[in-house]
Amino acid sequence: MDQDRRNQWLRGVLDLCVLALLADRESYGYELAQSLESAGIGHIQGGTLYPVLLRLQKTGLVTTRWQDGGSGPARKYYRLTPEGEAALSRDGQDWQTFAGIVTALVGAGGPQHREGVPS
Amino acid sequence: MTDEAWLSALAAELRRRGVGEEPGRAALADAASHLHDSGEDPWSAFGPPERYADAVAESLRVAVGHSSSPGPLRLKATGIRKRYGRREVLRGVDLTVHAGQIAAIVGANGSGKSTLLRICAGLASPDAGRVTIHGSVSYCPQEVSRTAVLRPDEHYMLIGAGAGLSRPAARRTGRAWASRLGWNDPDPALARHLSGGTRQKLNLVMSALTEPDVLLLDEPYQGFDRGTYVSFWDELWRLRDAGTAIVVVTHLLNQLDRVDHVLDLTEAAA
Repeated sequence: MDQDRRNQWLRGVLDLCVLALLADRESYGYELAQSLESAGIGHIQGGTLYPVLLRLQKTGLVTTRWQDGGSGPARKYYRLTPEGEAALSRDGQDWQTFAGIVTALVGAGGPQHREGVPS
Repeated sequence: MTDEAWLSALAAELRRRGVGEEPGRAALADAASHLHDSGEDPWSAFGPPERYADAVAESLRVAVGHSSSPGPLRLKATGIRKRYGRREVLRGVDLTVHAGQIAAIVGANGSGKSTLLRICAGLASPDAGRVTIHGSVSYCPQEVSRTAVLRPDEHYMLIGAGAGLSRPAARRTGRAWASRLGWNDPDPALARHLSGGTRQKLNLVMSALTEPDVLLLDEPYQGFDRGTYVSFWDELWRLRDAGTAIVVVTHLLNQLDRVDHVLDLTEAAA
């Protein structure tokens, strides 16, 4: 996939993806990065992920708590707030509507519909 | 560069950008635990410390609860006209700013930006038009302070006295402001011995010290280094979110997407 294009898309939806991952359970930064990768989003750099987490925290959509990391440094766990849940449900629906429209448009302009068009 | 060296460089860059102690420590701890968990190299995971510090500072500056519904009206200028000799620099300019808003005045040299600000401050009279201000007003001129025989603390106490601040309170508030602009040593020097950039900081601190309802700033960042410039805008957003109405004359356009109004005077001068 074109990396520039993928990055552009990601900028618009990464916060939504993170909210969605946090819907089920709390998690910490690196685990979120792994979950995003295994979901097929691709590798997300720390430099991209943590500013998004900071913004979510700052706008009150997630809360955090620190937990001792055992052998390593302490980890910050993120959890959805009620506002975060509301944002996920509202923005998630908006995204599905929007993505549906784009899919329909792109599908309609796809190669299978171009046959017979005079050149 | 080792993880530790990268993290300490990040710590320094965060401080330079005026990121507070607590969020700064949290950002460092986040990065440290990510590096530990992932085993990645900090340069590939986070990039150069200064760029990541920019991203952190930017994320922290997200206006919390900055509502799109404006507060009470603070400044209203209508139909402002001003002529210098045969040249009319302002031809019926309007500007309205509410509490909790930033208006940027932009335009080419000679388009009347500073003149309009001086008229808003009541320091110059328009040939026509009217300015109404609700609340207290403070004006930060472009030329740096010339009260050269006073020390910075004395400036704060003098200005503070006019607003009924006690001397310790004025000094404390002034120094806190100075430190948020990266001016940390309470420099005992007389103002005339300060560098241009530092005198500009002094100027800015004095205009904000009394917590005016309306703050008028005429390109108040001449001589600032990049870190101070970033801190300056952080402070403006903080004041805006606290309800100050701000008008800033600027020729730097890269912050304009983050202000509430842009008044471009270029056309008016043509």
